[in-house]
Amino acid sequence: MDELPNAFGRKLVPIAGLLAAALTGATSFVVAGSAIAQRGAESTSLLIDATHSPPLLTAPGEHVELNYDAVCIDQEVEDAEASCAVEGWVFRRAGTKGEFLKLALERVGPSGSRLSARVPEAIARSRTGFSYYAEIEAVSGTAVMTLPAGGAVAPHRSLPLERTVEVDLGKHRFDEPTRPDERVASAAWGTGPNDAGLEQGRNLAPTGASAFDVDPSGTVILLDQAHRRVLRWRKGSALPTRVPVAIAGTLADMSLASDGTIYVLESVSRAGATPLVRRFDSYGRRLGSTEIAERTSSQIRQGPAGALVLQQPSSQWMPVAAGGAPIEPEGQRQSGRSGRPLREGGEVIVLRRGNEIRVALTAPGGTRRSWRLASDTALAEVQLAEPMGQRLVLVVRVFTDGEDEFEVLVLDDEGIVARFSLDDADWAEAAPLGRFRLVGHSLYQLGSTPAGAFVDRYDLEVR
Amino acid sequence: MWHSRMLVASLVGAFLFGAAGTAGAYHTRFVANNCNYAAPTPTPYITRDGSAAVALRARHEGYQWAGGCWNDNDRDDSPNDPTSDPSTDGEGGDCSGFTFKVWRESLNESDAGFQQWGMLRDVHGPYTASRFRSGHGAPNITVFKSAVTKMDALASESHIGMIYATNADGTDQIIEAKGEAYGTNIWTRTYRGDSSYGGVRRTGWSS
Repeated sequence: MDELPNAFGRKLVPIAGLLAAALTGATSFVVAGSAIAQRGAESTSLLIDATHSPPLLTAPGEHVELNYDAVCIDQEVEDAEASCAVEGWVFRRAGTKGEFLKLALERVGPSGSRLSARVPEAIARSRTGFSYYAEIEAVSGTAVMTLPAGGAVAPHRSLPLERTVEVDLGKHRFDEPTRPDERVASAAWGTGPNDAGLEQGRNLAPTGASAFDVDPSGTVILLDQAHRRVLRWRKGSALPTRVPVAIAGTLADMSLASDGTIYVLESVSRAGATPLVRRFDSYGRRLGSTEIAERTSSQIRQGPAGALVLQQPSSQWMPVAAGGAPIEPEGQRQSGRSGRPLREGGEVIVLRRGNEIRVALTAPGGTRRSWRLASDTALAEVQLAEPMGQRLVLVVRVFTDGEDEFEVLVLDDEGIVARFSLDDADWAEAAPLGRFRLVGHSLYQLGSTPAGAFVDRYDLEVR
Repeated sequence: MWHSRMLVASLVGAFLFGAAGTAGAYHTRFVANNCNYAAPTPTPYITRDGSAAVALRARHEGYQWAGGCWNDNDRDDSPNDPTSDPSTDGEGGDCSGFTFKVWRESLNESDAGFQQWGMLRDVHGPYTASRFRSGHGAPNITVFKSAVTKMDALASESHIGMIYATNADGTDQIIEAKGEAYGTNIWTRTYRGDSSYGGVRRTGWSS
């Protein structure tokens, strides 16, 4: 990548890419938006970043607000409290077709950086949901950000919950973790040929073996990033084979394609760039790499056409490869989706808010089935939401201030079919959503203790 | 679990300390060449969004154990420092030094007021991650993790990061000085549910 003329430009451009429209000063209907963007030659000192938690799934009768936290920084002003003010607009429409209607976002709170708009009832209650995007800009008009980055081409989508199964999880009991059916892979921490490594760094929490995946035959691959390799256990094999891969050596996620291609999603990027997705064949030979479109990612998975990355701040799944060919950031932005496309068709949409989780399986026409789960114990991240035949498997972390476990739920149209708890087994830090995989009727968990890393299998059909 | 984590971290550190003696010329003297010891400017208030703006300017800068000085050029000016040597004089804060400056705290632990520190002011502050975690210092309190919100922190015995945003899947975007190989940036993390982490809040936000 060419060097940019100033330091602040480097901060802006690689994170999401500048808009062609930005350079011309266009003010609306910016297509290929960016997470952090600017426009106008005089705007090089301004930076806008905004975050937004999209109301992906709405309940009947619910009032829907769109809230944005925006930060505008003037490079020339060291006191951030005295930095630039922002304003914004949301462009929304019922369903997915037709013109977007513009609505001003109101400033909320004394900082002036929080922007909000209530979605009109007629749109919020549309049976096909609504789609929208926002433009947030410095009051001076010299910097603009579009969220999600794809703007009108790839807006956020909000769907109404339909055919919803209500589930009350009650209060979680932390004393009953389930034992696995089989430990299918294990590696001690160390430097030996069959060991997994821990990253080195002063005060760095134990970090190693940050991701894994399992192919349909039951072969497990473990990303041993500290040793820049993957360890592969054929089904039934106690010892792994080693496959060197040219990766950064820091915490990364990983996903295995059906053709054996290994996708590694790095979390650390080089100066002036966004994180890379690297591709390797099953022998570890480099097939290429591509930058993701946005500054931050949450996970990488396989969709019907190729690998997908959940990217932030757009909160969208963006394809990074199709048919084995990489997709560049611009193409990623224009293909962002609120739900994760599934290999078997349709999408799965997940929303955790407070102690409630909403999950929907969708088809092109809208929601096919959905679940709304309430818990008396605090809920953290949803690690996995995958259909299993006519059922849905959900893994969520439950926590108090002193304990945490994973709760596994098998759901159908009646409610809970099976439910059990797993130890958090997270001594070493791993990719944020890289701890579980569902293959057939088997759930696999990546875990770690002070002794090493392991992968356990839980057979769901017998529970 | 915390103790075992720290034991391994210490062993790794000891190993690296031994290795550092054989490293090449890594002292960039970033602090000596760029940083200052100017007095902070007392400020009457701080908003969570203003605090986020302070933090954002450290993105892509380096990480320095026990450090607290950085510029705004979007690169680590002292990369690949030996991770165990605190005297490498490199760019960046460590996790607790970064939090201290972003939260505009005082060197006086009994002072809950706000102090604006310049980016190039080399200051770490009196708090380790562990001390933040237990709510040491007049400005800091522990809070339920389920209640933490933007620019509150999640802290363990060895690390602290601040919440920049919460994602739809229940993960958090954390802004943190992570480590020498990572620098300072925003990453998706699952600290909230991790039992080794607790919630910490800087008191006195204006919003």
